[in-house]
Amino acid sequence: MKPWIAMVLALLLMLVYPAPAGGEGVTSEAVEEATQLWQESLHALNQVNCSSCHQPAATRPLQGHPDHESCRSCHKQAVETFLLGKHGVRLLEGQSPLTPAMARLPMKAAAHQRQMTCATCHDVHSVNTVAAAVDACLSCHNDAHSLNYENSKHAQLFAADRQLPRPSATAVSCATCHLPRHQVKAGEGTLTQVNHNNNTYTLLPRDRMVKEVCMGCHTAWNTATTAFLMTTWWRPILITLPVRP
Amino acid sequence: MIWPGGRSIPWQSIVSLKGAIACACIALIGWFAAAFWLDQRQVFLPGQTSVGHHLFETSCNSCHEGFKPVSNDTCRRCHQAELAEDAHGTQKFMDPRWAEDLEKLAVLTCTTCHNEHVHMFDRGVHLQPDLCMTCHDGIITGELKSHDGFTPDGCWTAGCHNFHDHRSISTGFLRQNLDQPPMLPVQALPERTVSPSLETAPRPDLTSEFEELGR
Repeated sequence: MKPWIAMVLALLLMLVYPAPAGGEGVTSEAVEEATQLWQESLHALNQVNCSSCHQPAATRPLQGHPDHESCRSCHKQAVETFLLGKHGVRLLEGQSPLTPAMARLPMKAAAHQRQMTCATCHDVHSVNTVAAAVDACLSCHNDAHSLNYENSKHAQLFAADRQLPRPSATAVSCATCHLPRHQVKAGEGTLTQVNHNNNTYTLLPRDRMVKEVCMGCHTAWNTATTAFLMTTWWRPILITLPVRP
Repeated sequence: MIWPGGRSIPWQSIVSLKGAIACACIALIGWFAAAFWLDQRQVFLPGQTSVGHHLFETSCNSCHEGFKPVSNDTCRRCHQAELAEDAHGTQKFMDPRWAEDLEKLAVLTCTTCHNEHVHMFDRGVHLQPDLCMTCHDGIITGELKSHDGFTPDGCWTAGCHNFHDHRSISTGFLRQNLDQPPMLPVQALPERTVSPSLETAPRPDLTSEFEELGR
């Protein structure tokens, strides 16, 4: 075989086959940055080292982008509820991860090909859930309800907590309502968990949102009247109203 | 060839008709086989899938076990937590007091109300909005004074009642909650706390391996 043909074939093969999983876009600057974020994070202080996620068992190869299975080994409840929600259900059913392009709601064009796993919303190195609570949602969602959040009183409460590693209990983010916290008994105390199943419980006020979410702050009369307004015949008009300036 | 009534049709046309039918069948089988082979299962969908299910609609096995109808078990695989305190659950209607109601509406199976790929008005429910009146007609015809004059299609379309969960609309709940001020005195969700087990971070254990990969 002539050398130039072999070279063209080799180039084509390089295009067709993806790079090994561990080596995708790894630069020493990126490693340095990730290490810096990690060293200040709760992962580091809880002895979750690089190998815990990137090489979960000694026999497994180095993983550049750990998937939800790596997270599941510690965050069982979070991953299990994520897999039942819209963002994760395709993974539960053994299909490719969800991309915003598949959604029926309007999504930002630049985000259409993003793949939904834990790390899509969470910066796993900094373990800071402030970005995951609002910014991550708004990087894909482009409907009037999502875009109007920035103009709401909820957003004002949230803006006061932006520097924290986790949104405080008085901040109201997208996640406060659609991925709500709830307490479960753990030994003698209680443990706060986040329900990542956004599919059934807390998507629409008339389902279970009033009881499970709205009534954490508002009383029944306040919530019931708002939920009623949102679910009567003119709700479709409300959600198509233009975004407030 | 002579047909009753004296019309004659040349035999060649029968052969060509048969040939056309055979070709169409082969094409159809080939098309379905190609759809399976290329994993393009959208061609088998008889209609639009509901909002909750369209994201995995080509994963037929998720709901359909072979050619069997969808069973409660397949629904519960994902919806178990929602049905844990089901107001209209199977357990309720196994009680002889309510068994008679099953004759009006067979609520023991999810598919009585929820059906995929057919016309529906919301949430995979394909029954009419006045479904509740099958058993609760009296509520709006004089049994409950506060509901006099209500329309039969408003129970859940107006946002008050949820068929599976009526914890937030029962009379007791309303009595306890409706005289409260607009906002609760303490507006807060549970705090998240994580207690670190170390005081300082350990050394990163894979940095050199990552840097080697990058080279």
